[in-house]
Amino acid sequence: MNRQEWDRREPDRHALTRRGLVGAGIGGAAMAVAPGALAQAGPPPASPSQPGALTTAPVVQAGLGPRLTLHAIDNFHGTPGAGMICDLSIREGDAYRPIKTVTTGANGRTAEPLLLEDALKAGHYELLMHFEDYFAKTGATLPSPNFLGLVPVRFVIRDASQRYHLPVLFTPWGYSYYRGS
Amino acid sequence: MAGITTHVLDADRGRPAPGVRIEFSMMEGGAWRLVKSVVTNADGRTDKPILPGDEARAGQYQLEFHIDAYLKTKPGVTEADIFVDNPVVRFSVSDVKQHYHVPMLCTPGNCTTYRGS
Repeated sequence: MNRQEWDRREPDRHALTRRGLVGAGIGGAAMAVAPGALAQAGPPPASPSQPGALTTAPVVQAGLGPRLTLHAIDNFHGTPGAGMICDLSIREGDAYRPIKTVTTGANGRTAEPLLLEDALKAGHYELLMHFEDYFAKTGATLPSPNFLGLVPVRFVIRDASQRYHLPVLFTPWGYSYYRGS
Repeated sequence: MAGITTHVLDADRGRPAPGVRIEFSMMEGGAWRLVKSVVTNADGRTDKPILPGDEARAGQYQLEFHIDAYLKTKPGVTEADIFVDNPVVRFSVSDVKQHYHVPMLCTPGNCTTYRGS
């Protein structure tokens, strides 16, 4: 295929991406047809993703005050991690003291920052993420109990005057988190 | 080979992470019981499996990676850079005939784990 022929195929290629299928509301159905792909059948029905929802990050963060924000991204389905229950706690001595429980919205973020302004304190934090509950809601076919059930994400806030963004990229079999921006 | 193994990698440098202490625990009666504490060798692995195949039982397990002490020894890393707090990986073994390899890739600002092979 020469370059011109390839270029003419562009619209078709885009239409066949997972995001395109999910955005059109047929991702689940299309995937369910494929043998062996059952475990990847669509995002959580209770919290449908929007087309391009992963691109709805704030455009400008400059000038914002200290805060801790979260973004859960489902790398299994290629969608925002919508409807993920997360328990935030802070270490006090040898134990973690619960602060709040939140659930991510359709864009994988929480409606409000996890911690804002004066509520953001230096310390050792844990965000306990309910992976097994999340993937059960998606209808994914996984072992029971799943490899990852309740996942502790531990991180340190050392300077309470800064902004901290915590993206968590996850599948039923692994996860990655980092200090984002 | 069944059982549990791990591998700690310094993803900042693209090298194994030697000398990292790992605490291995299992869930017993609703509480975590420390089974053993091991240290990674020059290859970032442990000399013996975390849990040998013939001792594998279905259940919940935990690996705590003490990467903080490791990272602080690295040139160019200051404490202010370290965002990841000694990561704890909790996972279930549901089929004792299978091998569970659970690597930890770490940098001061990022960590990644997954079921490997």
